[in-house]
Amino acid sequence: MKFRKSWLPAHILVWAYAVLLAVPLYYFLASAFKSNEAIFAHPLAPPTSFGFGNFRTAFESADLGMAILNSGIVTVFSLALTLGLAIPAAFALARARGRAGAAIERIFSLGFLIPTFAALFPTFLLSAATGLFHTRLFMVLFLPATAMPLSVVILIQFMRTIPPEMEEAARIDGASTFGVLRHIYTPMCMPGIATVLLLNFLTFWNEYLYSLIIIGPDPDLRTIQVALPTLKSQIGTDYGILTAGTILTLVPVWIMYTLLQKRMQQALVSGAVKM
Amino acid sequence: MRSMLNRRGFISAGAAVAAGVAVPGLSGCGMLGGDESDPDTLVVHSSLGGTAPGSATFRAVLDMFRKENPGLKVKTLINGDELGQVYETSRLAHKEADVVMVNLYDKTVSWTELGATVTVSGYLDDWDLRKRILPAALAEWTDEKGRLRALPYIASNWPVAFNRGLMRKAGVEDIPLTGDALIAAARKLRAKGTAPVTIGGNDWTGQKLLAQIIQSFLTADQAKKLYATGDFSGIKGAREGIEYFVELRDAGVFTDKAQGLTTDSMTTQFNTGAAAMQSAMSSALARVPDNVASQTDVGGWPLPPGAVHDKPTILRTFTVSGFWVSPNGTRKIETVEKFVRFMYRPEVVSRFVSEGGRDMAVRTDTLSDTFPLVAKAQQLGSSVSQVVLPDLYVPPSAVQPMIQATSTAFTPGVSSRRILSALQGAYRNA
Repeated sequence: MKFRKSWLPAHILVWAYAVLLAVPLYYFLASAFKSNEAIFAHPLAPPTSFGFGNFRTAFESADLGMAILNSGIVTVFSLALTLGLAIPAAFALARARGRAGAAIERIFSLGFLIPTFAALFPTFLLSAATGLFHTRLFMVLFLPATAMPLSVVILIQFMRTIPPEMEEAARIDGASTFGVLRHIYTPMCMPGIATVLLLNFLTFWNEYLYSLIIIGPDPDLRTIQVALPTLKSQIGTDYGILTAGTILTLVPVWIMYTLLQKRMQQALVSGAVKM
Repeated sequence: MRSMLNRRGFISAGAAVAAGVAVPGLSGCGMLGGDESDPDTLVVHSSLGGTAPGSATFRAVLDMFRKENPGLKVKTLINGDELGQVYETSRLAHKEADVVMVNLYDKTVSWTELGATVTVSGYLDDWDLRKRILPAALAEWTDEKGRLRALPYIASNWPVAFNRGLMRKAGVEDIPLTGDALIAAARKLRAKGTAPVTIGGNDWTGQKLLAQIIQSFLTADQAKKLYATGDFSGIKGAREGIEYFVELRDAGVFTDKAQGLTTDSMTTQFNTGAAAMQSAMSSALARVPDNVASQTDVGGWPLPPGAVHDKPTILRTFTVSGFWVSPNGTRKIETVEKFVRFMYRPEVVSRFVSEGGRDMAVRTDTLSDTFPLVAKAQQLGSSVSQVVLPDLYVPPSAVQPMIQATSTAFTPGVSSRRILSALQGAYRNA
């Protein structure tokens, strides 16, 4: 492709932005192989060795294996519950034509207005009252509740783009309401579902405050975000070990993003065309 | 290009992952906790985790305890800075750990008063521990109503570390004992491109050093009153102390940009030889690399003329960690007793000193061979004078504002009047 001069500023800006992103990423990765002294004295120098000592120490000291498993349990079950509730809810609301549907949709949108901290104390009381304090089960029930507004609002928009003729054709072929959802709406909304899945995965995996208070610090139950800060000490933190531990926690995020990014991009592009 | 994930693959992958995590989640580990009420399970909540100094020793001695008590399950809960908040919410739900190992600072100062933990005064003699614990430590952990809040365990010295190698290279032969000698040494070190005193002016290390310098002109009783009330303008010695601090700061005694540094940047500057002096907890001294430790001495903070102390000062505290007993713990007190008495055994205490590099609030003859600077700090004895650690006296709500005010103090050009105002301001809503 011929390079046009008029594109030069754009190229410069894009490459400058790429460097801006790459430098901290490099610093982050390089630090995982260094000691505190090397990190502070020569922050951008490459590591002198690529031993996995920091990773091993982080993994063992904070019991990250169990923590990753716990985060996996909480995240996967929460995602399943979120989708299980959000898809039918969005389906019903997208097809609703009455005032009640519009009102319920607005109520879902109001969910965005609840600040995280404001809900902490009532949520804690609820977990204590239900006997589910210090359990992962409560988080599996609670996280989907927090994710429902965004999930439903996103999915509604996708489902509204599906032509009613598709449903009519399915109905003529004898499809039930559930059949329409299962065979028409769900497959056609896969980019939207992938978007919801990815956004919620990032939120659930990275959730810290509620996991800390509700699940607590028991190594058998705690999530990765609660385990990771134990590598930090008020007396002095080994940043090489902390960075290595952080990288370990990012691996599942990276895998998930790699799997779902194409679907999410499709969702964004399809949205743009339909506008 | 074909998508990496088709619908069928997507559903299959999701099902596989769900199944993979569900099996161990629902069987082995269980979805419910509930060990707090199990009489055969001892739950210990500790800040000694991860890579904190002494945490490896803690894990090792817990394994010893488990082997000695095969019928007993010992569960350890680990938190760092957020331990106080986590314990308090657990207590509200009546699912708190049986024993808590944490310092006496900030939130924990009021735990006994609020009933979050029980007084252990009775257990001290019942468990025959009085003769094991240093009397000064018991005094620090006892509140104004005579209640022993927790059983003292880990202590700390807070001397000044002097890198004699760097000082000699700059032409400084002796450890400075006076403010003037410190200023002269700082000039020589700066001329050689070495930072004189490194300090985390943006966190608690700066707060402690500022408190230490202010106390150059305060007796212990005056200092306790000062930190309890925050009356920095009403107590004459406090004003003089702040002025002395400003004199040192403006003479270039502290490292550049100290107001933005933290304990980590401080220890790194010292450990890499970028700075010649630091005021550090003995647990930080345990981490000084051998090449620096071999040419480092420890001592006290130099005094100005007219100081109330006759020797350079250090901070010393017995409040780094103790065994707090919770209301849940009282329900299985025999188990708690077994664990606590085990932890006070001489051989267990020795391991914390020799392997963990910790100072103890417990009687022990063990000196740390592996950590020579920790041993040197332990041996300072009467060659230094001791000032009051503010932690026990500063109201919990003023702790964080005090640290913010400290950063102001370390900022070049800030007057003593403004520092005084910032410190008093920290107490305004306390």
